[in-house]
Amino acid sequence: MSTDNRHNPLAEALAQVGRWGIFSGRVVRWVFGAPPIVANVLEEVYRIGVQSVFIVCAIAVFIGSTIAIQGYYVFREFGGQNLVGIFVALACVREMGPIVAGSMVAAKAGTAMAASIATMRVKGQIDALEVMAVNPYRYLIAPRAIAALIALPLLVVFADFFTVAAAYSVSVYQLGVSSGTFMENVIRYTGMSDILFGMVKGLAFALLICLLSCYQGYHSQPGPEGVGRATNRAVVSVCIVCIIVNYLLSELMYG
Amino acid sequence: MIEYVRVYKSFGDLRVLEDVSCTIPDSRITVFIGPSGVGKSVLMKMLVGLEKPDSGSVRVGGEDITGMDERSLYRLRRKMGMLFQDGALLDSMTAGENVAFPMRQHTSMTEGEIARAVAQKLALVGMPGCEGKWPSELSGGMRKRVGLARAIALDPEIVLFDEPTSGLDPLMANAIDELILDMQRKLRCTFVVISHDIPGTFKIADRVGVLYDTRLIAYGEKGEIYRSREPLLVKFFSRDTGYTRA
Repeated sequence: MSTDNRHNPLAEALAQVGRWGIFSGRVVRWVFGAPPIVANVLEEVYRIGVQSVFIVCAIAVFIGSTIAIQGYYVFREFGGQNLVGIFVALACVREMGPIVAGSMVAAKAGTAMAASIATMRVKGQIDALEVMAVNPYRYLIAPRAIAALIALPLLVVFADFFTVAAAYSVSVYQLGVSSGTFMENVIRYTGMSDILFGMVKGLAFALLICLLSCYQGYHSQPGPEGVGRATNRAVVSVCIVCIIVNYLLSELMYG
Repeated sequence: MIEYVRVYKSFGDLRVLEDVSCTIPDSRITVFIGPSGVGKSVLMKMLVGLEKPDSGSVRVGGEDITGMDERSLYRLRRKMGMLFQDGALLDSMTAGENVAFPMRQHTSMTEGEIARAVAQKLALVGMPGCEGKWPSELSGGMRKRVGLARAIALDPEIVLFDEPTSGLDPLMANAIDELILDMQRKLRCTFVVISHDIPGTFKIADRVGVLYDTRLIAYGEKGEIYRSREPLLVKFFSRDTGYTRA
């Protein structure tokens, strides 16, 4: 039976989703169903987590600052500029923290995953692993998934802190909001549950970034063009899916 | 013993292999030769379970690998080694770590034992002392030698060669051919080679299989294939080129 779907984009799209589902099932099986290769996991935690800390915190500072400025001037319209702490708390901790962490990890680590695995595919190294009786899902993909699941929720916490800290600095020192009022509003309107929900979003983003990026790399077409295309598809698919999943989780948690 | 029994394979509408049957004897060098795109690589990939035939079977040591579960397939693969076209060395590891990799994955050898075994394998392939080199620091011929050392790391029963002289200059290709012959003499295991290098084939092979237009058009002892007057084989081996010296 011919499986050529080139002339039927919908069939090809559905086939891709199916292939991704099979790929993800195999990865999840090795993530949760077998002891991890600790050395590989630690190496990936360093790459995905430690090497992303600076960029996550840096972007979080600018995002938090922007939110404070925008919130202040909107609330000032009706005399509520001292309530900017509420807006900052909810926006940063519930949404921007996870999105900043997820998008930076996707841009940095996700593209690296896609590119490195695509290069291995193109150079025959994944076939070599198979022939050496080493399961590539267990050796290559699962450690990346486990590392992302460990690192991303922690990066969300970093992002939460730095967005709120930057927003505080701008609000108090630039815009003249009362420090005590700002902090009181942050503490009153942000609970442990918001931080934990943000970390749950981090877990979801971690799995999606890994599964989508590694899938594109694993099924790369031959040659340098194939590697480039795989990396590009990884970024695009991660961005689209994570934004949609973020909306769905927000609806579930706060809707 | 390796057997292909009435193997068919297609990719979509493209038929790659049609009714291929042959028996590869133990402890000898068998070379499958043919033009590019004729299914040689697919034939080899079926031997290690990287591809499955659409119909027919591939038997290794009496076991049909086409229906094997993952665990059995991995058990069988530990008895095989494969040299890929460009070596397929793992870029994140040095040459020594590449050769040590199968030992670390599948044996309980100590690091000291592994280091000695790695040195021995690299010396066997003519690359002593290169443990610390990265794949990017090695030439094409060197990568193939290290790839071969890795392929024989677990003392396999079957070693597969995917176009071992592809991309090499004639001198280096000759050196690789000599290495294959030397390895076979020392290791006495089954070597299966796919190639489009005709002179190299007749230098190293005990048995030759000729793939053409998806079929195995000839298979037998080297001398028998070389002396065949079948028009297609004569043309294929270019002994009837019409070239006349001035």
